[in-house]
Amino acid sequence: MDAVNGTATMLISNYVFPNDLHVHWSMMIVLYPYITGLVDGAFIIAALYYLFDIKSLKPLARFSLLFALAFLCCATLPLLLHLGRPERNLNMLLTPSPSSAMAGFGYIYAVSMGVLVFIVLFVYRPDLVVLRDTSKGLLKLLYRAITFDSRDLSTYSLALDRKIIRFLVGIGIPIAAVLHGYVGFIFGGVKAIPTWSTPLMPVIFLFSACLSGISAIILAYIVIRKITGRSIDSDCIKTCIKTLTLFFILAFAFEMLEVFSHSYLKSGYHHMVEGLLNGPLASSFWLWQVKICSVIPLVILGVMAFFRMGRAMYHFWAAVVSAILLLQVLIMRWNVVIGGQLMSKSARGYTEFHPQWFDKEGILAVIIVMAIPFMILFVLSRIFPFWTPDNETTVT
Amino acid sequence: MKLSYRLRLLIVLISLGVLTGGGLLLKHLLLPDSFGVYGPYRANAIAEAALVPIRHGTNASCFKCHAYEAGIHKTGRHQTISCEFCHGTYMDHVENGRKIGTLPVKREKQITTLCLRCHNTEIKARSELVIKTVAMPNHLADQNVKLTHNCNQCHHVHAPLKYIIRAKQMTRWTEAGR
Ligand code: HEC
Ligand code: HEC
Ligand code: HEC
Ligand code: HEC
Repeated sequence: MDAVNGTATMLISNYVFPNDLHVHWSMMIVLYPYITGLVDGAFIIAALYYLFDIKSLKPLARFSLLFALAFLCCATLPLLLHLGRPERNLNMLLTPSPSSAMAGFGYIYAVSMGVLVFIVLFVYRPDLVVLRDTSKGLLKLLYRAITFDSRDLSTYSLALDRKIIRFLVGIGIPIAAVLHGYVGFIFGGVKAIPTWSTPLMPVIFLFSACLSGISAIILAYIVIRKITGRSIDSDCIKTCIKTLTLFFILAFAFEMLEVFSHSYLKSGYHHMVEGLLNGPLASSFWLWQVKICSVIPLVILGVMAFFRMGRAMYHFWAAVVSAILLLQVLIMRWNVVIGGQLMSKSARGYTEFHPQWFDKEGILAVIIVMAIPFMILFVLSRIFPFWTPDNETTVT
Repeated sequence: MKLSYRLRLLIVLISLGVLTGGGLLLKHLLLPDSFGVYGPYRANAIAEAALVPIRHGTNASCFKCHAYEAGIHKTGRHQTISCEFCHGTYMDHVENGRKIGTLPVKREKQITTLCLRCHNTEIKARSELVIKTVAMPNHLADQNVKLTHNCNQCHHVHAPLKYIIRAKQMTRWTEAGR
């Protein structure tokens, strides 16, 4: 009851129902769409190469598959941390029903995991067969298992591999799109929260997912190559930035159109949402998400598209703009997930969210959860070499 | 073993199929028997829930033995309020028509805390139409008493306006619209 007599009363304004005082879906639920989004965007880059034959993306294609895999491994981690009894998630999978949106996610997740793992195995098979012979002990055993214990690299079987890859990537795209669109759908399906409950939710989520994934790939590529002293493929970065620009324009346009069409229509909860965006979210939405993290990158991307600049300069700005856009998507997830819960169902009052450091879903937990995919990525890099030999040139 | 690559892939594919089938079988085995009879839940859960002992009586269940409190409660403004909200459950107090345990009775400061759980103006979502609220300590200041007064020094806990109405009648102090 200290909410009634204690300090918490200072944070709320107007009528807030007692059960609306506390933000129940906190930072872990912000990470959930963020991580699945990164998977999605990274997969798009791989798909552009393997399915749509965009040759300039070759240096990044394999890396983005591994990147997607590392993050996909952790996609459900924030959800499980959010649960009081994580082991019970299996009950939900045992008894799926059309009224359980989350069970659906479990199945889509499992399928996308399977497909991605097999894409990686087939893409890497030629390298793995070679590595099998140069490795010893447990690693050798692992290589034998993941090459299906076959050394066959004949043109016939390589052609078969390519067909399989095309097929898997072909079904992988709709699966990746459904995986993340579904995350948006889960939010959109919450009728009680006006800012979520819109059919546009899956679309907005999907575009911002591609945005964050592609930015992450660009940034990771540039940083890792720089640190390990390898060259950076300019063509590849250029194609990525162009794709990024496209998805960014779409994502940003939809984010804004949603707000504008609501404010023009003055629909249902508009007065409340307006108050939210101009009140508790004024700085995190208008200042950070829109002005700092969207308008500035828009200008940078424009300059990069219309003016000639040196290679090093281009790479520098590519890294900067990717970093800002990664932040943009994170802030957008925050504004949607936490922001949406800051208004009471009384349609009158607002509450506040105060992140904690050492909570089960606190800031420290967020840092740990975000660090795990990178550790997995590191382990993966020991098994699957990131880069193909033909772009192994070191900068002198 | 000398197997062609295609055959190996076929084996992988078949094992995936077997794995899925095994998963479905496991799912079938793990499902509780009565699951899905009426809908996506365990039908037996209904019968089990019905067996859970009832903890709460009603105000009527208290009136049988507490005629004195009943007389006051039924006439006062709190007549719609459950005795058990303030005192605890019937099950902890009575079994087979006999008293088996004492119920907690709030005293002094605890009473003020109890009253404010429902009557505090700080709880914004309470409409004044349904329940009148007071802001502390203003309410006490308005009555010109020490701020250490507890609610039950002026309000009878079971019929909160009992004394106040009586006092008004004695002083013939009436207000329009009351
Ligand atoms: C608003 C809360 C509230 C409700 C509702 C309520 N009571 Fe009480 N009751 C109290 C408080 C507080 C006391 C202690 C009064 C005091 O010490 O001045 C009390 C005292 C009593 C006592 C005397 C206990 C003792 O040892 O002094 C009995 C018996 C009792 N209540 C029975 C009932 C019954 C029966 C009902 C329902 C008809 C009821 N109460 C409803 C708050 C409540
Ligand atoms: C079977 C009869 C019976 C019923 C029914 C009953 N009580 Fe009592 N209650 C008693 C007796 C006897 C006492 C002891 C009275 C005394 O000591 O003066 C008592 C005492 C109390 C007391 C004082 C604290 C205590 O436990 O000694 C409270 C409060 C109380 N009852 C509340 C309730 C409420 C609320 C209900 C309804 C949920 C209820 N009672 C139903 C018989 C009953
Ligand atoms: C369970 C919540 C609850 C608790 C606890 C509670 N009350 Fe009430 N009270 C109500 C409700 C509801 C009403 C209005 C009942 C109605 O109008 O039918 C009410 C009415 C009143 C009124 C009459 C207001 C008016 O002018 O109509 C007073 C005075 C009052 N309560 C005082 C108290 C005091 C003093 C206490 C502590 C002993 C207390 N209440 C504890 C719920 C509660
Ligand atoms: C000094 C005596 C006194 C004390 C102590 C006291 N009240 Fe009152 N209260 C009154 C009087 C007198 C009224 C009637 C005022 C009126 O009709 O204008 C009243 C009215 C109320 C009302 C109805 C308000 C309304 O808007 O009609 C509520 C609710 C109430 N009191 C709750 C409480 C609570 C809760 C406490 C304990 C924190 C408490 N009172 C303590 C004297 C007191």
